[in-house]
Amino acid sequence: MADLSVELASLALRNPILSASGTFGHGLEMEHFSPPHTMGGLVSKTVTLRPRPGNTAPRIHETEAGFLNSIGLENRGIGAYLRDVLPRVADADTRIFTNIGGEEAGEFAELASMLDERDEVDALEVNLSCPNVGGGRLPFSTDPALAERVMRGVREATDKPVFAKLSPNVTRIGEIARGAEAGGADGVTAVNTLLGMAVDWRHRKPRIASVQAGYSGTGIKPVALRCAWECARAVDVPVIGCGGVGSAEDVLEFVVAGCSAVQVGTAAFSDPALPGTLAEHLDDLLEAEGVASVRELVGSLDREGRAPA
Amino acid sequence: MPAPPPDARSFTATVSAVVACGTDGVLLSVRPPQPLPPLRAARFFMLRREDGASPAIPRPFSLYRQADDELVFLVKVTGRGTRALAACEAGSKLRVIGPLGNGWPDLDGDGGPWVMLAGGIGSAPFFMAIEQALSGLGAAPALAAENLCLLYGASTAGFLYDLERFEELGVRVLVATDDGSRGFRGNVCELLEREWEAGGLPRDVRLLACGPDPMLHAVERLARARELSCWLSLEELMGCGVGICNGCPVPTRPEGPLGAWPNAKCCVEGPVFSTEEISL
Repeated sequence: MADLSVELASLALRNPILSASGTFGHGLEMEHFSPPHTMGGLVSKTVTLRPRPGNTAPRIHETEAGFLNSIGLENRGIGAYLRDVLPRVADADTRIFTNIGGEEAGEFAELASMLDERDEVDALEVNLSCPNVGGGRLPFSTDPALAERVMRGVREATDKPVFAKLSPNVTRIGEIARGAEAGGADGVTAVNTLLGMAVDWRHRKPRIASVQAGYSGTGIKPVALRCAWECARAVDVPVIGCGGVGSAEDVLEFVVAGCSAVQVGTAAFSDPALPGTLAEHLDDLLEAEGVASVRELVGSLDREGRAPA
Repeated sequence: MPAPPPDARSFTATVSAVVACGTDGVLLSVRPPQPLPPLRAARFFMLRREDGASPAIPRPFSLYRQADDELVFLVKVTGRGTRALAACEAGSKLRVIGPLGNGWPDLDGDGGPWVMLAGGIGSAPFFMAIEQALSGLGAAPALAAENLCLLYGASTAGFLYDLERFEELGVRVLVATDDGSRGFRGNVCELLEREWEAGGLPRDVRLLACGPDPMLHAVERLARARELSCWLSLEELMGCGVGICNGCPVPTRPEGPLGAWPNAKCCVEGPVFSTEEISL
């Protein structure tokens, strides 16, 4: 057995496999498909201060190599999360990450301080990047100073580890990661969905009611890998990779590129049991390769010379 | 937070038969690794091929029949995913997620007769519903055949899938086609009105409907106008089928039994909703 355990800042995980926010429910909804004990951690769907009814349908559309969604952060708000969800994850045999979203910096801090009091929560992930909310409003994740401000507010509101989830829809993601780090982030998650769109030309209609949507799945893996690699070079805190992960091979690609952990998202829609099998497959791969610990491979990308054919 | 049904699992199953049905459909028989207990009609499964021929996201299909430890699905070919399923051969491997959703309510004998309104491929959740009503299921004892009536409509006769087998079930089956190629010329709502006028059905029927959106809207309007109990089995785009992706919202009635939240999840709170719960 290879050693799959990793550390994200002060947080020890049994393995580097996390669920990606929005693809695994708020709590233990997926436990019959991918049992909590098979996962390093579960990241909740984004929780906001006030309830959000979400966007008009159609909200989803599958494309050639991935999946478009514009859900609009539908959730029942932090009150319902604290009351109805957290008590049910109290005994979960995995780490619980709560993903929070807000419309202004103060909302993130307020959410963080409410969650700080709850022992069920092991860490926070801050959604700086969801492209679906509001009209032409730029996300926090497009400006290093804004990212820093949000993360500083969150940092001051909680002692729990906090991770900044970044958007790939920027020119230099490394600078955003540095902003988040300067604000006190214990790590960054790279990346959220790419902005995308699909059209039904016969009916002259967008496939998604809000027109623009978040693009995820297999097709975004090269972009996500590049973003994660750029972040890992830019910051000293751990990077969590996310985007198009569907196999243990994919996990190791992100690890070698510099990620300490990896999130699996859209692949859970293809098979909700898949996330729970990744750690075992990872173990098999490492054993076969003679690698004792997955930690040895973090950031081990060798740029000298060519890879053997 | 609605969760997936506790009996739902993700597994690989083997196709045992693909038989043409109607102009553009197939009956797809699938053998799961372990037999499933009898399932309530109108529950559904997410299906995709495991060899890469299907889209990556599985698609929802109502359970049509359960027989000899197999699950049978009635599939209308409309695009890439359904074409891939129809092109399966015996031995093809499928990713199967389910059973999902709630299914029809118990068809009890404590009120007016049950009238089932099927539109085209919307007949899929009714075959087992009739079988189960006649034999009894859940808290409901066996129902006499005269308490059930199927009004089966389609644009044309070729989309009346498996009609002969429906007619062999022993309940009254009335047929309507838009082009008059079989049965009554018109749609199922018009056929129901005609039956009421002719005295073929009492006024206090209870409605179950599954079919295309315009038909379901019409059934909902008719049920509200006549104050009839009515359940609709809905089809929505689904990303996961298990209540996670929030891709299949159905508008709820603010004063209804589902509470004040504006959306229900079709996959885990449906696909069957009463018209007290939702409004299309």
